[in-house]
Amino acid sequence: MGLKITVDHGLCVGNAQCVGLAPEVFRHNENRQSEVVDPDAAPGELVLRAAGYCPTGAIEVADAETGEILFP
Amino acid sequence: MASSATAAAADPEDLFAPDVIADPYTYFGRLRETDPVHWNPRAEMWILTRHEDLVWLLRHHELFSSAVISTDTRPPHPPIDPADRPLFEEVREFRADQLVEKDRPPHQSMRAAVHEYFTPQAMESWRPFVRRAVGELLDEVEPQGRMDVLEALAAPLPVRVITQMMGVPEEDRDHLRDLADKLLYINRGEPDRMRHLMKGIEGMIEYVSPKVDERAAAPGDDFISVLAQAEKEGVFTRHQVLVNTALLLFAGHETTMNLICNGTLAFIRHPDQWERLRADPEGLARLATEECLRYDPPVKSTQRIAAEDVERRGKTIRKGDRLRWFMAAANRDPRVFEDPDRFDIGRQPNTHVSFGAGIHYCLGASLARVEGQEVFRALAERFPALRLGVEPEELSYQPSIQFRSLASLPVAWN
Repeated sequence: MGLKITVDHGLCVGNAQCVGLAPEVFRHNENRQSEVVDPDAAPGELVLRAAGYCPTGAIEVADAETGEILFP
Repeated sequence: MASSATAAAADPEDLFAPDVIADPYTYFGRLRETDPVHWNPRAEMWILTRHEDLVWLLRHHELFSSAVISTDTRPPHPPIDPADRPLFEEVREFRADQLVEKDRPPHQSMRAAVHEYFTPQAMESWRPFVRRAVGELLDEVEPQGRMDVLEALAAPLPVRVITQMMGVPEEDRDHLRDLADKLLYINRGEPDRMRHLMKGIEGMIEYVSPKVDERAAAPGDDFISVLAQAEKEGVFTRHQVLVNTALLLFAGHETTMNLICNGTLAFIRHPDQWERLRADPEGLARLATEECLRYDPPVKSTQRIAAEDVERRGKTIRKGDRLRWFMAAANRDPRVFEDPDRFDIGRQPNTHVSFGAGIHYCLGASLARVEGQEVFRALAERFPALRLGVEPEELSYQPSIQFRSLASLPVAWN
């Protein structure tokens, strides 16, 4: 089962908590906002933790197959 | 004497001029439109005022260092008693160990150690406590029909919340409140302010030091335990634990105070928006708090130092140059906000920069939001006839370039 991760660039302030926590999954683009490199490169638990660490709630995590929202 | 005072007031580069303190929006709004990357020769610093430039600066932490207090060798302004100069140096040394003064790499692990405590979800769990505290504070003043918002609500609320987060027992609350009040002298203009501030710092060290040992031995779910654990792991030194506990108390106090006072004043000055909130306090509290943060932000400006030569808008910022970035001006940038000088509690999206951006984005943002939401909601529900309790010209602000702090805010509702 895979994850679908969406970063809302209207909310992302570039705090980089997600990048620090799961650098295999998130990186900063040229505007210093987070983008997803590979949604399944880290354990799902870690991805959910990274989403919860976002100070502005910019990250949404869903089940790629069922579309079920896992976070928030 | 009179002539030098007049000359100072007439200096267009005087950031402490009474009219600039009273209304920063006109002065810094003009800079934003005419010279958005402006060298102020009097303050010896660059003034940045456009939204786009602030976001750029804040996301490029490798170009702009946060170690501003530790490297600032200039005398304090407003001036202090010359005899207190050694105290000023001690205060400077103490503040240099604040998380907000750190650059990467140390900042990354230090922030990571405390970040989880302040996530949006973690702070949401504090909402019932905040709601109860707001209710109790308003219960105390309701029969009087009037209050100074600062004294009765805005100052005590954050101290109650933070001391609870520190795991301070009930009987120590008044002592901590007293220390918190002394720490507020960081932002004051009185010549003897260093003495009060130093008493607050010394009191904090004395009070918190044994607590850190206790919590290291028997951790709880409080913030001091988080820092004690970080010390055990070698991420924080003991000095940094003490400094940053004081920072939590100060930073969460002054800023929340200003959010509550400035927001309440904005509602009093805009009765149509007050009516709007009153019609749906629960539903509008969230957006209304964001608009209060944008319209009259608790922090007007903050500093950085250029870590290398940087070009921006045709100006060359040299390595070592100081920069002050004004969220108060960026939040009114017409390139980003429609009708920016209008207080509109339905504004969405509201991409204000009142909490900064980038790696130093306000650690306490989610807590501040919960506190603001609960206060504005409660005021709208309980005091529909809220109005100013003094003449408007009696209101005044602290002479600070950093904080937008009302000296008091008397209101009435009967």
